[in-house]
Formats: sequence, structure tokens, C-alpha cells
Amino acid sequence: MKEEVLSDEKIIEVQNLSKQFKEIRAVDNLSLNVYKGDVFGFLGPNGAGKSTTIRMLLSLIKPSGGNIKLFGKSLKENRIEILKKIGAIVEKPDFYGYMTAYKNMEILGKISGSNISKKRIMEMLELVGLHKRYKSKVKTFSHGMKQRLGLAQALLHEPDLIILDEPTTGLDPQGMKEIRDLIIYLSKEKKKTIFLSSHILYEVELVANRMVIIDKGHAKVEGNVSDLLNSNKLKVTFEVDEIEKAKLLINDTSWMKMLNSIVGNKLIFLLEPGEISFLNKLFVENNILVSAVIPTRSLEEYFLSITETVSK
Amino acid sequence: MKKIILLFTAFVSITFAQSKDPDLILKNVIQEFSTVKDYVADIKIKVDVKVLKVPETRAKIYFKQPDKIHIESEGFAMIPRKGLDFSPSSLLKDKYSAFYQKEDFVDGIKTAVVKVIPLEDNSNIILSTLWIDQTKNVIRKIESTTKTNGTFTIILSYNSSNKFPLPDSMTFQFDMSRVDLVPNEFNDRIEKKNNKKTLAGLVGKVYITYSNYIVNKGISDSIFEEKK
Amino acid sequence: MIGLINIELYKIFRKWRTYIGFIAIAVLVSVIQVAMLVEGQRSINFMTHNLQQSFILVGNLLNGYLVSHLILNTLVIHIPFLITLVAGDLLAGEATSGTYRMLITRPVSRISIVTSKFLAGIIYTCMIIFFLAIFSLGLGLSIFGSGDLLVVQNGTIIVFSKNDVLWRFLLAYCFSSLGMGVVASLAFLFSSLVENAIGPIISTMAIIIIFIIISGINIEIFRAIKPYLFTNYMNGWRLFFDDPIDIKEIVKDSLILLGHIFLFFGSAALIFQKKDILS
Repeated sequence: MKEEVLSDEKIIEVQNLSKQFKEIRAVDNLSLNVYKGDVFGFLGPNGAGKSTTIRMLLSLIKPSGGNIKLFGKSLKENRIEILKKIGAIVEKPDFYGYMTAYKNMEILGKISGSNISKKRIMEMLELVGLHKRYKSKVKTFSHGMKQRLGLAQALLHEPDLIILDEPTTGLDPQGMKEIRDLIIYLSKEKKKTIFLSSHILYEVELVANRMVIIDKGHAKVEGNVSDLLNSNKLKVTFEVDEIEKAKLLINDTSWMKMLNSIVGNKLIFLLEPGEISFLNKLFVENNILVSAVIPTRSLEEYFLSITETVSK
Repeated sequence: MKKIILLFTAFVSITFAQSKDPDLILKNVIQEFSTVKDYVADIKIKVDVKVLKVPETRAKIYFKQPDKIHIESEGFAMIPRKGLDFSPSSLLKDKYSAFYQKEDFVDGIKTAVVKVIPLEDNSNIILSTLWIDQTKNVIRKIESTTKTNGTFTIILSYNSSNKFPLPDSMTFQFDMSRVDLVPNEFNDRIEKKNNKKTLAGLVGKVYITYSNYIVNKGISDSIFEEKK
Repeated sequence: MIGLINIELYKIFRKWRTYIGFIAIAVLVSVIQVAMLVEGQRSINFMTHNLQQSFILVGNLLNGYLVSHLILNTLVIHIPFLITLVAGDLLAGEATSGTYRMLITRPVSRISIVTSKFLAGIIYTCMIIFFLAIFSLGLGLSIFGSGDLLVVQNGTIIVFSKNDVLWRFLLAYCFSSLGMGVVASLAFLFSSLVENAIGPIISTMAIIIIFIIISGINIEIFRAIKPYLFTNYMNGWRLFFDDPIDIKEIVKDSLILLGHIFLFFGSAALIFQKKDILS
């Protein structure tokens, strides 16, 4: 599989991560890598273990097994140093409702031990469109406003890694777009590494360059987004009787570009649905017996099938 | 020679013969004290009671005949009522029956012991015994048994330089062991709580020292009016 | 750490429930003072009635010190509840409001967080006692004036000269802070276990009430248990109103209370350190 990476510096390194809650194994031998500059999509249906994994990355929960390294250092041994470089939203962002937006930001900044200036706080509030409501008590904020404030506090101390757990939950389409635009801005302009968790494939598709799909606590699919989410192409396996003849036939043709891999006497292509019959016809006209044509389900179908199983 | 000695002895006996008439003895004491119209004195009070811990207190006492008394103190002072007013007229204001018992010594001074029994039904005192110094016509010791407040003993000592029959110190000794110091309902609670000592019963002494007497200089009656 | 404590104190004093304690004390003290103003002299006369048959009692017994001493005697009843209202909310309140996540993902150690919260709770406790002292003594002395203090201690009536009283009160209030510190620590410990402040408040009060009841019942088995109950030592402030003062006993009581504080806080810190934040 090809993986497109912007950098080879690992920001997040998770190896065989597990979490057991009594009888439930919420995360099961999960491994993943996030590189510097990635917008990494962490995808999975509800209950897959996304939030649990994120909580472990942020040391809210202790793993039952495995290792977590952030910025090349063990999280267990370098927690405070690492957290200084991370900004995060974990699920629904909650604040001290009896305090103003400004005061919440100020307090969170002070707890971080950083000297966050008033200017910086206002800049962040302006970035998320809340600068006019800085004196309002957070309990008067809508869900979307709290979500934006959550993003503002995550960026307050200029972190290198931003972890966002379902940042668009409960937002209207306009709100979702604003968050997406902000993520793209942070990635492209500010060169931040972003770890984005979601159960909405479409959302991840629009912003992420790499992603992993997890289900029942372990990784199902990992790779480059453009590779995995080529939504018009299918993985089709042609089982032929003369593999060498078939290879010669498609050599120096455009079919070669669509060849994904060869396994024994099987040729695996990434094809548009309409192309399957043409390729089949080519083999047949050249006396290559095709014993089976097996279209593999697309990533979207695969993801949907997982969510259907969960909802059933 | 023998006659002279006999005559001399008879003369001395007659001159210094102490009276055994209780009424006369008491009358002499009252008369002596009547020379004091009023007095003001500084007093120091020291309480020596097992269940009471009171610091030594200073106060000022005002007295005006026949029985007006007023105490002024900055702090808390606990002063025995009976010891405060040792004027004979006050002690003997009700009808009584007195009889001479014997001679006795108090602090090495010869005294006549007179028993006084109040005749009034409403008198709290059942019996008083007075040790009277007939030389100075002062009471040196009083022992009284009361109906409701146990027994008490007052010992008075006098400075020979004081021309008035006013003591320079008084020891008030009392035994209220059969009396509940604190009313019953409180007493029960305290008993249950501590399981040991109770405030029922009070035995001990109060020492009062008198000084700086100002006698017969006149005291306004307003001092003795109870301030509300 | 000081910064964190300041933040926690700010959070404490931004909540309305914090002011319940101060208001309750002001009301209670005022009510007691007024009642004593109306009925106090009669009560004293009643109490000293038999004594007054044989003694004249001179001096202002119904003074600010006596009333303040009376109020201090009610300490163990109402103050613990006012303390648990705040202490029980210190950790559980973060869980209820969902702010644990925001707090613990800051680059600050969990031990710093839990310690700063605990110390803020202790400071609040001391402030409540301090307020009680100032209000009670201040109002009492201004209404009733000063005077010698009469107390009943172990079956003995003790009268303290008015110049010998104030320092005793100050030390008694300091000791009371220690006693209430144990209450705060216990509520704090319970707060570390749950995600709602109601539980710690009720549990702490239940334990205090049960311990007081056990201590008060005079049967063999309860007498044996009594020395192990921390409520037994919370009234140690009374030792300052004794003559002579039993320093050894005070030191012993103080160490026991301090020991309880460290035990409860230590347990809470350990729990918090290992806790999975799921809220």
C-alpha cells in the first residue's frame, strides 16, 4: 500500500494499545502513527473506542497495555512536557458556565502555567468568531459557540499537536464548514499536526490526508486518504488461468495504471464500475480464461457496513 | 502578805472578770460596731473551692448602717453573703434566744462562746455560734447552720492598730455538699456527660482581705440603689 | 502552586453555595445573640440561683465572651455541614460540570491539581471559622461588652479574668479550624470517588452524626470504639478553657486530627492520581 507522508517525524506513535474496562475491551491492540504536518483522520462508528483512545493519548485514562509516544517521548514519563505541546477538545467541550468566555480562557491559560496575554486570548476568540461575546457567561452560549470556544482554548498556548474529538458534533452545516475551514487553515498556514476523530467519513475525507478506521477497539484500515477514499473506484479481483499471458496483455496499456497488485493467479485492479466489463471482454477476446471476477467493496461501503452492524 | 495577794487576786478577777451574760456580751458588740456609721474598703477575694476556679479578684465594698452594702468590681467576684455583712446588728436583727456556752480561744485570743438560736420561723439560720472577743467587743468567729445552704464558718481577724471594729481579713468556710449548686436539669446533663464529678455540692473557703478603710466619711444612699 | 490555589479559591467564591456558609453563620450568631439579649440574664440567674443564695455574684457575667463561648459549643452541629457543601464539590463538581477533561489535559501534574484544590478547601474552612470568630466575638462584645468568662469544664466552674480570655478564644478557633479541616478532608476524599457533590456531602455528614451518636452512648463497646473516632477530638478546643491548660492533651488531639487530615488527603490524592477520567 502507498502512504503519502509530508514528513517522516512521528508525532504520535501508538503501539499495541489496549484498554480493558471490566469485561469490555474498549481498545484492543491498536497501533498507529501520525507524522508531523498530518491531518490524521481517526474514524470509527460510535463505541469503536475513539474517545477512549484519545483519552489515553491525553492521559485522562491509563492504558491497560501498550505504549504511547508523543513527540518521540514516552507519555508516561514526560506527561507535562508533552501536554505543553498539545491542545485538545475531548467530546463536548465543557467550561465553567458561571464565568465569561474570557475568564475561562484566562484561567485555562494560567493553569497551563503560561503567561497568556489578553491580546492572545482575544486573538483566539476572534479566530473562532467569539470576540464579541467575550464578556458573556458561557452558560448563555449555544452548543456551537461552546464548540468554537473549545477550539479557541485548544489553540491558546500555540500547541504543535491539536487533538479534536468529534469537533463538529451538534453543529449545523454552516458551523461544520467553519470548523473544517479552520482545520485546513491550521494545517496549511500554521503547519499544525491535527488528530481528528469523527464518525462522519465525509468530514474526514474533506480535510484529512491520512486516516485509520477502527472498530471494536482495533484498527481495520489505515492509509492515505486519497488511496482509501477513491470513492468511484472498486477493488476488483480477476482470477485468470494464465497469469503471465494476462500480464503481457495489459503491459504498456492504460490498464496497467489501474493494476493494484498481483497475488498468485489473481490480478487486483482499482476500476470504475463501468470498466469491469471492458477488461473482462479484453481477457476473453484474447483467450484468457477468467474463472472469477470479484469486486471488493469500497471503503465507504465497508465503513457503512460496520456502522450497520453496530446499529443492528 | 497572803491577804494582799488575796485582795489583789480578787481585784483583778473583779476588774477583768468576763461577762457570762450572753445578752450583755452581744449588746457590747453591737454598741462597739455602732461607732462605724459607714465605711469604704478595698477587698481582695481569693476563692479556694474544689469545683470552682476563680482568679483572685479585687473589689470595693461600701457599707452604711444599719445593713446597706454595695460591691463594685471590674471583674467577676464571688463573695459570701454572710461574710460580707458581719455587722452584729445585721446578724442579730431578728428575735433570738442566746445562751453562754463556754470560753474558747481563737488564734490564741480568749473568747466567749455564745449560742444564738433565731426564734423567727422564716429565718434560714437554724443555729449560730459566736466566738466573741470581750476585750475588743468584736466577733472573731461565727459558725452557722442554715436550712438550705449548709453550714458556714467565718473567722475574722483584726488589726490592733485599727481603732474601729473592722476586720483586716476574713475566712469564710462553707459546706454545701448537700445542696445542688446547679439546678437539677443542668446537673443531670453534666453528670451524664462527665460520669464523674458533678456540680452538686460545694465545699471550700473564701479569703477576703480588707485594706484602705475610709470610715465615717459619709456615703450617699444612691450608691446602694440597685442599678438596672 | 500558589497560582493554582488562587484559581481554585476564585472558583470556590464564584459559586453561590459558598456564601451559604457565611450567611448561615451570620444568621445563627445573630439569632443566638438576640436570644441571649432577651433571655440570657434570666438563664444565668437560673443557673446560678442556688449559688446566689450563699454568694453575691458581682461582675458582668453575661458578656460577649460568654455568648461567644456558647456559640462555639454549637460548632460541631452546623459548621461541618457548611464545610462539606464546598469541600464535597471540589472534585465531584468538576466531574458534574464536565470540566475535568479541560483541567487534566493541562500541562500540570495531577498531584498539583488535587493539592491545590485541597488547600483551597482548607483555606475556605479557615475562613469560615475566622468569620465565625470575628462575627461572634465582634457582635457579642459590642452588644454585651467585655467581662470575665464563666465556663463549666469537667464538673468545675472556672472563671477567667477578661484579660485572660481573648488568647484562649484565638487558640480555640485555631483548633476548631483543625477539627473542621478533618471534616473538609473527609468530604474531599469522598469527592474524589464520585461525580456528584451530593454523595460526599451526605456521606460526610452521616459519618459525623453516627460517630457523635456512638460517642454519646454510654455502653462498653462504644466506649472502646470512642478513642478511634475523630469526632471525639474535634471538641479539643475546650481544653483551652481549662485551668491549667493540658498542653499534652491538646498536642495529642492536634496530632490525631492532623493525622486524619493527612490520611484522608493522601487517600484522595492517590485515588485522583490513578483515576480514569470518564466524565
